[in-house]
Amino acid sequence: MGTVGRRAWKTIEWILLIGVGLVFVFPFLWMFITAFKTMPEVYQFPPSWWPNSWQFENFRIAWSSGPFLTYVWNSLIVALGTLVLQFLIGVPAAYSFARYRFKGRNMLFGLSLIALMIPSQVIFLPVYVQMSHWGLVDTLWALILPFGASAFGIFLLRQAFMQVPDEVIEAARLDNASEWKIMWTIMVPLAKPVLVTFGLFSFIYHWNDYFWPLIMTNSDTVRTLPIGISMLKAAEGGKQWNVIMAGNMILVFPILIVFFFAQRHIINAFVYQSK
Amino acid sequence: MKKVKASLVACAFGLTAVLAGCGGGSQQSGGTNQSPANASAPASTSASAPASSKPVEIDFWYALGGRNGEIIQEMVKKFNDSQKDIVVKASYQGSYYENHSKVLAAVSAGNQPDVTMVEVGSIGAFADAKVLEELEPYTNGAEKKYIPGLLGNSYWKDKLYAIPFNRSTPLLYLNRDMLKAAGLDPEGPKTWEELRQYAKTLTKKEGDKTATYGFSTAIDIWFYEALVFQSGGSILTEDNKALAINSEAGKAPIEFWTSMLKEGIMKAPPGEKYNAWDVAKQDFLNGQVGMIFTSTGDLRGLKENAKFDVGAAFMPANKSYGAPTGGANLVILAKSSDEEKKAAWEFINWMTDTAQTVPFSLESGYMPVTTEAVESAEMKAAYEKEPNFQVAVKQLEYASPRPMVPGYKELQEVIMTEIQRAVLGQATVDEALQKADEKGQKLLKK
Amino acid sequence: MQKAMAASDGMLLQKQARRGHHQVWLERMRPYLYIAPALTFFFLFFLFPIGYVIYLSFFDWSLLNLEEMDWVGLDNFSELLAESDFHQVLGNSFIYTVSTVFLGILISFFLALWLNRSARVYGIIQAAVFSPHIISLVSIAMLWMWLMDPQYGLLNALLEMVGLPGYTWLADPKSSLMSLVLVSIWKGVGYNTIVFIAGLQSIPKDIYEAAELDHSPWWRTLTRLTIPMLSPTLFFLLVINTVSSFQVFDTIYVMTQGGPVNSTNMLVFYIYEQGMDFYNGGAASAASVILLVVVGILTLLHFRLMGKRVHYQ
Repeated sequence: MGTVGRRAWKTIEWILLIGVGLVFVFPFLWMFITAFKTMPEVYQFPPSWWPNSWQFENFRIAWSSGPFLTYVWNSLIVALGTLVLQFLIGVPAAYSFARYRFKGRNMLFGLSLIALMIPSQVIFLPVYVQMSHWGLVDTLWALILPFGASAFGIFLLRQAFMQVPDEVIEAARLDNASEWKIMWTIMVPLAKPVLVTFGLFSFIYHWNDYFWPLIMTNSDTVRTLPIGISMLKAAEGGKQWNVIMAGNMILVFPILIVFFFAQRHIINAFVYQSK
Repeated sequence: MKKVKASLVACAFGLTAVLAGCGGGSQQSGGTNQSPANASAPASTSASAPASSKPVEIDFWYALGGRNGEIIQEMVKKFNDSQKDIVVKASYQGSYYENHSKVLAAVSAGNQPDVTMVEVGSIGAFADAKVLEELEPYTNGAEKKYIPGLLGNSYWKDKLYAIPFNRSTPLLYLNRDMLKAAGLDPEGPKTWEELRQYAKTLTKKEGDKTATYGFSTAIDIWFYEALVFQSGGSILTEDNKALAINSEAGKAPIEFWTSMLKEGIMKAPPGEKYNAWDVAKQDFLNGQVGMIFTSTGDLRGLKENAKFDVGAAFMPANKSYGAPTGGANLVILAKSSDEEKKAAWEFINWMTDTAQTVPFSLESGYMPVTTEAVESAEMKAAYEKEPNFQVAVKQLEYASPRPMVPGYKELQEVIMTEIQRAVLGQATVDEALQKADEKGQKLLKK
Repeated sequence: MQKAMAASDGMLLQKQARRGHHQVWLERMRPYLYIAPALTFFFLFFLFPIGYVIYLSFFDWSLLNLEEMDWVGLDNFSELLAESDFHQVLGNSFIYTVSTVFLGILISFFLALWLNRSARVYGIIQAAVFSPHIISLVSIAMLWMWLMDPQYGLLNALLEMVGLPGYTWLADPKSSLMSLVLVSIWKGVGYNTIVFIAGLQSIPKDIYEAAELDHSPWWRTLTRLTIPMLSPTLFFLLVINTVSSFQVFDTIYVMTQGGPVNSTNMLVFYIYEQGMDFYNGGAASAASVILLVVVGILTLLHFRLMGKRVHYQ
């Protein structure tokens, strides 16, 4: 192929690349643009490509449509709380599976892997009834407890713990260090990359979760951000898409910005799952 | 290294404390007397405290958003400010559907509100499930002040359970300017035939596309009920035990709609449930549709946002005028404590009293609920100025209560799904009606 | 490693034995004590619910009144399986899963092959493709609902710009399911692509060099080399994508509520509607059991079929 031919291909490829990029990025741009329009501009056809004036008002309306600060706070508590609980439960379990030999170890580990195959959507009904019997419906506990044991987290941590060289542990044991101490002060720091990976994955998942809070909560006091945002749809008259998009921007853009700066870390976190 | 562990444990405790505070704490007000399985519930507030020392707190869940929701918040604030014995905490739950789900879920979980609004078609379901408190012991005859036509959906098995609050009927809304420009009577069509004629005249095509539709309505159960009433029929039989739609009256609305759709003079707005209503209203405001059906509760909103003269009229008659009433009634939940229930009645009585229902009606378009309100000088003067606001009240003469058997929620979904198939052309009118009837009868037998 | 571990454990037990008998008991129980919390949670929130929902599926009950439950044996199942609506739900779920999994993996496979290069621009595009994955599905659902609006949405505007008629998207039962498939693919392709790229990068370079030396044409390298080497990744993605496609709920709830005329009603939404909207606890439980069985069978099938074909290094 001559150089002219090759350059032509290159240009075509560049165009295609930008095209693909746009397919994934432009919807977010459209969210951004719509969020600043006025209602008449929103209901215009063909649509205007740029807002005439920048209606920051839409954000105010979205934010004040409900106790958003409470929603943010609840989302934070749920995402962090779940993570801490998963950590407290997962580390000892992973350590035990990784470094102890005991009867039934493989069977029990296999059992906990089954949990990986059971998404929460599949068992929400019985768990809801259980929570109802325990009086935990409409509390933040209902959003955290069911996720306390993360099969994924235990799996990852076990892998990481298995990698720690025996000499390190032997040395610690010779020093009369208790098992408990070894676990928390040696194994955990050595598994930091995995912890970061899992932490990101779990936090993002629970921060974004809409289904579980929808099922388990009713009151404003325990609602999370995704639920709050979805309630923007129930306005009167026509749908206020500009306000709805503004509200969604509050939810979406902070994550997109974090993503922009920490791309590699975040992407690697999700890829880890496959290994 | 120990620090890491210590700070972790501290974190965990800290979070537990916050959780306990957030999750458990706010459930107390308006909570129940059930044994507190809630994480950190302190002893029930209402049990021992004498009523005079601390105000009774009650929870009010409502289902009106937008401007009407703001009005409710203002009313609640006014109530709280006007007296010291009761504090009402109002929270918005979404649409009627969403609020219902939440109330019922909360009832089975033990943390339901004390007062809520229930859409009139669901009162039966709630009463039958023993979720509602009987009201006669509290009202002592006060219910006589309400417009009789509005009390149809307040009684279940002859007991009073609900008080009218934001009541509506569907109306025919008209773009008067558009009608005038087309040489039509700006008061609108009075019969189905006229509706068809008007729709035809108002529909404008530009090549292949229809720029303006004469008429549009969401294919919703409420409007179907209306058209069945107008055709001299009803959805259920007298004893509420069987479906009555497999009849001339049940068929007429579907044939009417499908024929207008085929002619291209009517638009069926896309979207599920209230989404379709939103589209119809938006099209109306944009001047893309000349006439729509929607609730009288939308009157204020449409009037303020329209750039044309908005008219409201009776839904056109087939054999006669007819309309279901709609909107919601206020109810007291049975599981609340005695003190909370008494406070709840005070609140309901106040919210529906003449002094409140007059401004509420004028601000929103919902009907005033007391006879006194309708006949008051204030109301009469307002009606003089804005006759649109009186249309729903006048239409009450021809109105009937909505069906409200338990399970009607599922039943109406089933009926409308089949009717939608006819509208979409997936089934003929007869097939759709047949299927709806079959499925509906099965449900009613359960 | 085993020997070293045994030696270390032995030292451990000896050390503790010197401290007293109850200490020995503690050491013997330690592994179990450490996994106890995790196992308790697994039992409470995974195993027990499965058993419980199977139990519940034999009763006629409702969320309105959890005290009253009537035994009906297999009636819930027979009624469910006879319902034409449920057939539609099963059909929709099947079509949705096959479409999203097949298209999702196919598209991301080729994207991965294309974007797996070192120049900076490829990294940027990879990130762009991945970005929807970390956004809340609820926001994506609302965004696409707006994009797909039949009258004012951007997609129809673009179509009209190039002279095509506007599409019905979510408004028509013929196009609604595929519209949801589109949204799901848009969100999920990025994840698959990244995973494929990681898989591609773990294939040793010398194998490719050997193929080049053999003058192997690109398509043969692809089918005889790349794909087999990628089979663990492929298998992993197949399982993950399949299980996750049965979880679909958020987009249905936000965008279509199962409609129009049940054309987008799928298993999890059906269970939700029956159990929490219509208060048919029995139907909802029976449907949950069916869902569990379906997911279980599919996972097993994957392991069976692919287990033989997966080529590990």
